[in-house]
Amino acid sequence: MKKSFLAIILLSILCACQTEKKIDEKKEYLRWVGDIAQNDQIDKPDFKVCNGNDKILQYFNLGKGPVYNEEKSEILNIFKSHYKPIYDKKENGLIRIRFIVNCEGKAGRFRVLQSDYDYQEKEFDGKIVSQLLNITKEIGNWKIFHKSEIPVDYYMYLIFKIKDGQLTEILP
Amino acid sequence: MRHFSFLILLLISLNSFAQPNCEAYKYYGDTLKYQACKKAMEIKGHYQFSKEYQTVLDESIEIDPTFDYAYWAKSIAYLKSGDFVTWKKLIDKSVELKPKEHLGYRGWCRYQFFRDYKGAIKDIEKLDNLVDYDIGQSQNGTYHLNIAKGLCYRAIGEKEKAIAILEKQIKLNELEEFIGANDYLHLGVLYLETEKFDKAIEVFKKQSEYNELAENQYYLALTYKKLNNMNEYKSCLEKAKELYVGGRKMSDPYSNPMDKIYLDNIENEIKTAYNIGNRYTRL
Repeated sequence: MKKSFLAIILLSILCACQTEKKIDEKKEYLRWVGDIAQNDQIDKPDFKVCNGNDKILQYFNLGKGPVYNEEKSEILNIFKSHYKPIYDKKENGLIRIRFIVNCEGKAGRFRVLQSDYDYQEKEFDGKIVSQLLNITKEIGNWKIFHKSEIPVDYYMYLIFKIKDGQLTEILP
Repeated sequence: MRHFSFLILLLISLNSFAQPNCEAYKYYGDTLKYQACKKAMEIKGHYQFSKEYQTVLDESIEIDPTFDYAYWAKSIAYLKSGDFVTWKKLIDKSVELKPKEHLGYRGWCRYQFFRDYKGAIKDIEKLDNLVDYDIGQSQNGTYHLNIAKGLCYRAIGEKEKAIAILEKQIKLNELEEFIGANDYLHLGVLYLETEKFDKAIEVFKKQSEYNELAENQYYLALTYKKLNNMNEYKSCLEKAKELYVGGRKMSDPYSNPMDKIYLDNIENEIKTAYNIGNRYTRL
């Protein structure tokens, strides 16, 4: 019992570390909006981008829309079969998990953004966020994009719509 | 005349997305906005996501914090990166400053990027109440905003209301000879869901003539299945697969459109079709 309590506390701390805070939209900008710098405290050290941080694209830059390794239906099935709803009337809103897919189709540098349905930042129950984060991290392969026949790195995200703790939609 | 009025409507709908005419501010004596506008135009050549683009717009806002265009232009990168929190703060500011120009856009984005059906309905209806002209098209040009509103009503379960909205707008679109790429398909799916099968077949056939899609044949197949027309059911599924593999399917650069299907949906339905067929044969 003590062990599981400790595990929940640790998970919550981990999620808090990976959660973005949108305190002020005017800030020191990185190269591009939404860029994610490597943070050795939370990011796997063995995850590497292939072409350098300044060449990471967005998923839509190659004009193919949101593309998954298989079709989106597979992503939907993964979450449908692995996510265990935490029924709670207070758990409503949007959770975005943004990450980088490298030239080998591997994902890393996951970051979480959470809001209610009025787009105000909030924190969901840690068990909801940690499940979504862990399931996303478990997806082994993402689509490899090529530009001029060279495999590229790109940013991707998933947005989860949560109603009463249940997962109702996955975007994009 | 018909084409002329369409042109006017198009210009109105594109108004909020065109570059502002800085000289107009000068002409009307709004020097501050003129300066903010001139500064904002320095974004030219910079990518929406870039530090340079965002910084120029911050400087424009510093010159005149009531210059709506700068907030709108800043918001786009946040929208496309899925940062709904920052996007909403910025787009709200532009809507607050010029509601007639930005409400329709915000409503559409709420639907397209975040499937915020109630929020989209609210924005589109508010715009409709504010203006006495046609509220225009979605940002990507795929839908009239009323069609988008109808799809939102459908998503929150108000299907009869959605049908009424789509029927009315499609009639107007037909008069203008400007049908949305998926209009008939969405109406057909609504008819199918409300068990108006004959009407569903009628509009799916119109969609075939106008813009054939794998989704259209798939839902037509499901309609024939409901009517126990097994030959047409199978034939439409085969066509759906052929179209899908050939790339004739719904798509969007940023999101997955409503009523989009995937290859495994078609293949699973084909398996079902042949299982049903075998069952009939054994009987």
